[in-house]
Amino acid sequence: MGFIKLVVFGFIGLTVIYWSIALFSRSVRKERLENAFDKDNPDGGAPGARDAFIAEGLKAYDSSIRPKLIGLVYVVPTVVVAAIAYTINTN
Amino acid sequence: MQRIKTILRVVVLSVLALYFHYILPQHDVVKITSTEIIRTDFSPFNRIFYAQADSGAAEQPTRDLRLINTQKQNTFLLGFVPRDSSRVMVYRNEDTGWIYPPYFKFDSADLQAEAANLARGDEWAVVTHYGWRIRWASIYPNAVAVRTISGPDVTIIPWFNIFFFIFLMAAILFVRAAWRQFRERSVDPLLDAAGEHIDEVQAGVAERKGRLSRWLGTWRAKK
Repeated sequence: MGFIKLVVFGFIGLTVIYWSIALFSRSVRKERLENAFDKDNPDGGAPGARDAFIAEGLKAYDSSIRPKLIGLVYVVPTVVVAAIAYTINTN
Repeated sequence: MQRIKTILRVVVLSVLALYFHYILPQHDVVKITSTEIIRTDFSPFNRIFYAQADSGAAEQPTRDLRLINTQKQNTFLLGFVPRDSSRVMVYRNEDTGWIYPPYFKFDSADLQAEAANLARGDEWAVVTHYGWRIRWASIYPNAVAVRTISGPDVTIIPWFNIFFFIFLMAAILFVRAAWRQFRERSVDPLLDAAGEHIDEVQAGVAERKGRLSRWLGTWRAKK
């Protein structure tokens, strides 16, 4: 019973953490893209060029390995729990 | 105001420090003298200082409690500075189960057997435990693991606690950074937009009022 509780609430908690990290990481990347564009085009560039540049950059980000690494949020705690349970219960 | 803030901060930090002192593992150098089992009737007050029944068993209002009696080397500063004296220390030995505190300990019977084995001889051992011994409330620290050592002068490096605090710092820094990013990117633009909207409304009201008073002015007698 306790195990089911751990799995259910652990999954909920880790999902909250996963989404906060995912949104944070994407937001940081978007800000960096905006800053990069503004630095290269101090006059504001062609109309629509800024949005296109950012959309392009975010697309590249989405297909890079970085957002996939955030999935480790689920893996690492599971491994840590298994490791603690194993070391505590062997003698 | 500043003083109240400081007091609040100190209270919160002390509660956190006490909580971590209770919950994080500590290591005692001991000689195990005996093991015993007592029947325990928990009171509502000291109930939270005990774990639940063994993880495969049902919860009852009263149950047996495994205890490990030891002679413990005294220390200063949370166990970092050893002393020459010793005193008795009694540990409880309970399963922590799957939830809380997250030690995932299910082997209290095995641990009791190990302790009983050590109690036969005169060996030194390190007991890993969490919790406090509070005599007037009949509260014991919970022994989590026992290992034998060659002598009382061992250096114990609290690896788990080191990693735990590094992780805690990283988590706090992340939450701070994420919160700032959220404020900067999501909340502030909204507030700015709302502020602008309010300004527009106020300007509109002022203009209408101006128009009204100007119109009223046309009815007033010319000076």
